Amino acid sequence: MKRAGYVVLVIVLVALLCSSCLHIDKPESVMTDVKKEVQQDFGDYPAQKNVTIDGEDFLQSQAPIGRFGGSLVASTIGEGPKTFNPFNSKDNISSLLSEVMYDGLLTTQPVTGEPIPKLAKSFSVNGREYIVKLRHGVKWSDGKPITADDVVFTWQNIIFDGFGNTSTRDSVVIDGKLPIVREIDDYTVQFVTPKPFAPFVRMLSTPIAPKHVFEPAVKKGREYFDTFLSTNTPPEQFVTSGAFRLKEYVPAQRVVFERNPNYYVINKADQKLPYLDKLVYLIVGDINNEVLKFEGGELDIIGLQGANVARFKELEKHSNFKVYNLGPSTGTMFLSMNLNNRRNDKGKFNVLPKKQKWFQDKNFRQAVDYAIDRDNMVFNIANGLAEPLFTAESLNSIFLNKDLPSYEKNIAKSKELLKKSGFYTDKKGRLYDEEGNRVEFDLYTNAGNTEREAIGVMVKQDLEDLGMKVNFKPIEFNTLVNKLVNTYDWDMVIMGLTGSPLEPNGGKNVWMSDGTLHMFNQRPAGYKKDDRLDWEKRIDDLYVQGALATDFKDRKKFYDEYQKIAYEEKPFIYIYSPLMISAMRTKFKNVYPSMLGGLTHNIEEIYIEK
Amino acid sequence: MQILKYILKRILQSIPLLIIVSLISFFIIRLSPVDPLAELRLNPSVSQETLQKETERLGLDKPIIVQYGKWAKSFIKGDLGITSNGEKVSTKLKERIPNTLLLTSIVILLTWLTGVPLGIAAALNWKMPFDRILTVLTSIGMAIPSFFFAVLLLIFAVKTGWFPIGGLTSSDFLEKSLFGQVLDITHHLVLPVTVLYTLSLAGLQRQMRANMLDVLDSDYVKFARAKGLSEFEIIYKHALRNAVNPMITLLGFEFAGLLSGAALTEYVFQYPGLGRLILEAVMRSDINLVMASLMMGAIMLILGNLIADILLIITDPRIRRSNV
Repeated sequence: MKRAGYVVLVIVLVALLCSSCLHIDKPESVMTDVKKEVQQDFGDYPAQKNVTIDGEDFLQSQAPIGRFGGSLVASTIGEGPKTFNPFNSKDNISSLLSEVMYDGLLTTQPVTGEPIPKLAKSFSVNGREYIVKLRHGVKWSDGKPITADDVVFTWQNIIFDGFGNTSTRDSVVIDGKLPIVREIDDYTVQFVTPKPFAPFVRMLSTPIAPKHVFEPAVKKGREYFDTFLSTNTPPEQFVTSGAFRLKEYVPAQRVVFERNPNYYVINKADQKLPYLDKLVYLIVGDINNEVLKFEGGELDIIGLQGANVARFKELEKHSNFKVYNLGPSTGTMFLSMNLNNRRNDKGKFNVLPKKQKWFQDKNFRQAVDYAIDRDNMVFNIANGLAEPLFTAESLNSIFLNKDLPSYEKNIAKSKELLKKSGFYTDKKGRLYDEEGNRVEFDLYTNAGNTEREAIGVMVKQDLEDLGMKVNFKPIEFNTLVNKLVNTYDWDMVIMGLTGSPLEPNGGKNVWMSDGTLHMFNQRPAGYKKDDRLDWEKRIDDLYVQGALATDFKDRKKFYDEYQKIAYEEKPFIYIYSPLMISAMRTKFKNVYPSMLGGLTHNIEEIYIEK
Repeated sequence: MQILKYILKRILQSIPLLIIVSLISFFIIRLSPVDPLAELRLNPSVSQETLQKETERLGLDKPIIVQYGKWAKSFIKGDLGITSNGEKVSTKLKERIPNTLLLTSIVILLTWLTGVPLGIAAALNWKMPFDRILTVLTSIGMAIPSFFFAVLLLIFAVKTGWFPIGGLTSSDFLEKSLFGQVLDITHHLVLPVTVLYTLSLAGLQRQMRANMLDVLDSDYVKFARAKGLSEFEIIYKHALRNAVNPMITLLGFEFAGLLSGAALTEYVFQYPGLGRLILEAVMRSDINLVMASLMMGAIMLILGNLIADILLIITDPRIRRSNV
C-alpha cells in the first residue's frame, strides 16, 4: 500500500514536469516585432569630417559630445586570437582584433557602403591610377609621424613581397602582374594597377604598418615574420594607429585594449577620441557561456541567435539593454546539384550518367527550386528570424539585383516543368525519368550543424512531394569538403558560404569556371579543355568585365546580369539569410546601428552615459 | 642503493611503453578523418597557393610514418614542435599548466584533508546515523555528472550574482592590489573547486571507509583488542597503518590526474586550463599539441605509479622484503 503511494507520487511529479515542458509559448508576435525594427535606426549616422587645426589634419566626429572614461566589454567565441599581426591573421578573430589596433587608408561608409578616407585625408581614382593623400601631423601610438614611407613599405615590402598571409596579394594580382606603389611626396602615395581593376579600391582598407617597427622583422625573413607580433609579444611593443592599443592579453580569458592617446579623431569640442578608456574582448568557449555572461552583466554587447532572441526581447522590457536587428547577414545558405559530367582519373564518371541528365536539365533544377518551401524553413528552423533568399548576392549587398522577384512554393509549376522534360510519375506517385529510371539521389550536408540538418530534412520532404527519393546523409564536415573540392562524387548538397556585401569579385573563386570553389561544376586544377556551359562562359565574361569597370553603375550592370543568370539557371538554390540580432546595454550612447558596420563601427565615438 | 636500482629498472621498463603509447595515439589522430585545413578550403578568399603552403608547413603531404618519425625525433630532443597556428607548443602548455595545477592541487589537498578523516570516522561509527548520513551524501556526490553540476552552479551564479561566471580573473585584474588579486582568484575558484571537490570527496571517503572496515574486521585487530590494548592504540597504531596502504596507490593515480583530471569542468567554467586547450586541439586535430598532452598524461601516470610504489616500499615492510 505504501509502495503504491510512492508510485502515484512519482507519476504525479513526472506529469507535472511534463506539462510544464509541453507548455508552448507563442513567440511569433515577438519575432515580427524584432523584424519590424530593421529599418528604424538606420541612416541617421552623422558622417565624420576632415578639419585642420594648426596644420594637423584631424577627422572630426559629428556625433553629440560625450563623456570620457569607462570600458566596453565584448566577446569572441572560440580559442581567442592566434596572432596580433594584421598581416599574418588567417581567422576572423585575429583579424578583428588586429583591426582594432591598425587603421587602413580607407574604410567603408557604414550606411552607404562607399569607400571613404580614414587614415588617408582624401583619395582619387583615375582609371588605373589611385592617388592617396595622407593626413599631416598624424602620429603612431609611440609619437612617430605616419607618412607615405609607411604606406609604401606596407604595400611593397610586406604585401607585394608575400610576407604573412598572402591572400591580399593574391587578390590584387591581375594577369600575373602586381600593382605599382610609389611615393610622390611625404604625404602622397600613388598606386597604379596593370589594368583598370575596380576591387582594388576596397583593398586600400588594408591596415598600414609602422615601418620603423616592421622593417627589422621583414629583414629577418619570412619565417621570423610568421611569429612576429604573436600573442606572446609584450603589449608595449605594439605601435598602433587605431583608436586603441594593446594593454593585456590573458590566454583563454581576455584581450584588453586601452585608448591610443595619439588617435586622430576628435569630437566637436576638439578633444581627442576615443571616449572609452578600455575595450575588452572576453574569450568565451561557446555561445551558451556567452549568453550567461551577458545575463550576469559581465558583457556589454552580444550577438543573439534563434530562441534566445525571443527571450531577450522579453527580458529587454525590464533590463538595461536593447535588442537591435541589424538586417540579413552576409552568409548564404544554399542547395546545390552536381553538374559535373567528367570522368575521374580511374575513368569512371563522377556522377552517374542518368543523374547527370537530371542535374544538367534546367527544368529539373527549377522544379526542385519551386518545390522548396522557404517560408516554412524560415519560420520553423530560423525561428522566423531570417529572410528567404533568391539571389547569389546577399540581401545587404550594395550590388544586389533588386529586380529579381521572390516567389512561394509552387508544386504545380514544379510538376509542369518536370513533365516538359519527360519525367512521369507512376500510380504510387513515384517519379521516373524519360528512360524509366527512378529519380533517387543522395543529399549531403555536414553532420553536427543542426541548422543545415534541419533544412535537409525539410528539403527531403519537399522533394518527396514531387515523387523523388532523397537519401539524406549528414556526413562529417571534412569528408564533405573532400567530396566537394577533390573527389566530386556527390549528387546534391546543402552548404553555406560567406560573402562580401561590398565586393562581388570576392566570389570569383565560386563563380568563375576555373575557381577553386566552383563546386557545382568543379574542374580539377590545371584542367585545359574548354567544356564550359554557355551560361558559365557568360558569367566568366561578366566577372572579368565587372572587375575591369571602375564606375559603380557600370559594374552594377555586369553583376546584375550574373545574378539574373544564377537566378534562372539555379546552380545554387538559395534558401535564406539569417538576420543578425544583437543586444547592447543602453548606458552606451552614440550607437548608430548599421547593416554593414554593426553596432560598434564608430567605436571611438561611443561613450557611457552617467 | 637497492631502491635506486629499482627506480632505474622501472624507468627503463617504461620506455617501450611510452613508444607504444605514442605510436598508437599518433596513428589514431592522423587516421581520423579530421582535416586541419577543411575550414580554409571552404573559404572563398583563400587561394590555392595558400592552401598548398599550409599543407607543406604542417607536413600533411608526407606519409604518416615519416610524419611520426619527424615528430619522435624532435620529441626526444625535447622540442615539442609548433601548433597548427605556428605557436610553440611548449609556451602554450606553459601558459596553462599553472592554472590547472592551481585548481587540481587545491581540490586534491581539500579532498585528502577531509576525505580520509571522514572515511575513518564513518568506519568507526559503522551503521550509526553519522555513517548513514555520510553514505547518502556521498552517493549523491557520486551520482551527479560533473558537467551537470557545473551548469547548475553556473546558473546559480547568474541568478544570484554572487559569483563570477567562469574564468579565472576579472577584467580589471591588473589594477588590483596584491591582496585584491588573491581575493579575485579565490572568488573565481570557488565554483569549479566545489564541483571537483564534491565528486572526488565521495569516492575517496568511501574507499577509506571500506579499507578501514576491512582492517577493523581482521584477526590481528581482534587479537589486539583481546590483548587489552587501548582503543586509540588499536585504531591509530595498528589499523590505520594497514588501511592506508591502498590509499597510497590511489594517490599515484591522483598525481596523474593533476594535469588532466578536470577537462569537462574547465570547459563549462571557461577555466583557462590545460583541459580546455587540449579539447580544442583535438577538435582541430592539432597533432603536436595533442601528442604533447597525451605524452604528458602517460608520463605523469607512470611517474605517479612509481611514486606510489616507492611510498609503499617505505610504509609497508612486507613489500620491502619481497621486492627488493
